[in-house]
Amino acid sequence: MYHLSLYFHFVKLRIRSQMEYRLSFVFDVFAQASISVIDFFMIALLFNRFKELAGWSLWEVGFLYGMIGVCFALAEMFGRGFDVFQRNIVRGDFDTVLIRPLGTFFQVFSHEFLLRRLGRIAQALVVFLIANSQLTVTWSITKVGYLLISLVSGTCFFIGLFVIGATSCFWTVQSIEIINIFTNGGVFMGSYPFSIYRWWFRHFFTFIVPLACVNYFPSLFLLGKIELSGTSPIGVQLAPFAGFLFLGVTMLFWRWGVLHYQSTGH
Amino acid sequence: MKSLYLAFQVYLAFAKKSFQRRMQYRVANLAGLTTNFFFLLVHIFVYTAFYAARTTPQPLNLDEIITYFVLCQVSFMLMPFWGTRSEVTSAIKDGSVALQLTKPVDFQTYWFADECGRAFYYLLMRGLPTFLISILFFKVTIPHQPTVLMAFAVSMTFAIFMSNAITITIFSSGFWTLDTTGISGMSYSIITLFSGMLVPIALWPEGLAHVARWLPFEGLIDIPFSIYLGKITGVEVWIAIGKQMVWNLFFIGLGRFLLTRGFSRLVIQGG
Repeated sequence: MYHLSLYFHFVKLRIRSQMEYRLSFVFDVFAQASISVIDFFMIALLFNRFKELAGWSLWEVGFLYGMIGVCFALAEMFGRGFDVFQRNIVRGDFDTVLIRPLGTFFQVFSHEFLLRRLGRIAQALVVFLIANSQLTVTWSITKVGYLLISLVSGTCFFIGLFVIGATSCFWTVQSIEIINIFTNGGVFMGSYPFSIYRWWFRHFFTFIVPLACVNYFPSLFLLGKIELSGTSPIGVQLAPFAGFLFLGVTMLFWRWGVLHYQSTGH
Repeated sequence: MKSLYLAFQVYLAFAKKSFQRRMQYRVANLAGLTTNFFFLLVHIFVYTAFYAARTTPQPLNLDEIITYFVLCQVSFMLMPFWGTRSEVTSAIKDGSVALQLTKPVDFQTYWFADECGRAFYYLLMRGLPTFLISILFFKVTIPHQPTVLMAFAVSMTFAIFMSNAITITIFSSGFWTLDTTGISGMSYSIITLFSGMLVPIALWPEGLAHVARWLPFEGLIDIPFSIYLGKITGVEVWIAIGKQMVWNLFFIGLGRFLLTRGFSRLVIQGG
């Protein structure tokens, strides 16, 4: 409880500082939204020519796109502290984190909050809502609950990726750019149904890096495509928990990484 | 003539320096290569799946699409915006441009030479490996006629020049706005789309494709790659390259205009 109220306090401070430059903030929110619109426009262009992709229609893919877009933008908003963590290491700022009477994970997590990602969240959400209105999804309490858990879990998954990137800085100082493959690349590949990928690619992004659990398996359930896809129903029901598990594992990795921290000094 | 040759030597030296500076970041380059391949792979999966369901012939067949996206990844870093740019780009913001201006050379040409060195580095260290490895794993089309290859080389050179000229133009706006993130963000969307980098223009609906043909950005990606794939032939090749040349002149002129105006109102940040 103490942590929670402290977190809200920190976030409030962050938001206030970001609102200092109001015009720049508003401009950024719109720029964010317009940049991400291009991604969906590209998908729409392809569907305009090819009509369908492995049995998925444009709006079914829009459903996938909206889900992963919301998760990623939320993760960027909340997980910003880990996303930009390398500068703390480069500057030697992490020393101050270590001497404060709070957990290191919590401190880094609550240190940043990127409000301007609202633009990207809104854009993904709009695509998701339009897709939903074009499809005939029979929503029930179970499905709404399943969707919400999936979105939170998906956000946790992406935050987990940022945590891995941040933790690796304890060894490499500079952040490893490879992690972009999973974050930006993950959003790109997650915008298409997983059935189009080769088995080794699919399995890697299901069991090792559970990207498929963010939106593909949840969409199979929500859109009633489980039988068509030939996936096991139990797997689909368990999918929304993969993100939580993934974040948990990366937190353990973080704790181990902190032990290896060597200050770059001041 | 001799003075022209000497001037060329000077700018060549700048380009070489810019090339050498980048040779230090080997690990970062390896990471970039991996990223290139990842995106290439996903593109290939997506298009293979799209093509699998279509029986009617398309303007580009699957092998040509794969080749197109291999070339996209080969020249990815040569496009405006991608990767770290020359120090000049940040120099306007942090004020060190004052130092750059003390050099007894033409500023735009100096900047252009610097960007050319950067482009050559990425062509050699990123583009070439991407291409060679792609040949091993995917069905990459290679043109047999030497004339096609020559036309492609010319067109690609103009594409790189135009990318540099656009970069200079966009960053020159920093004299007015200081923060160029907004303008580069906006141009990013327009350029990635209308260059044909996301979806080849041949696959677009007709109306939109028509718009793209009247914009300069197809000269970055779509024109050189269409020449490579033999989709533009005969006189059309000359027209396409001519278009690239005209747009090159346009952006170089615009950049020069912005720089001249910028210097006349230049306030150096910091001291």
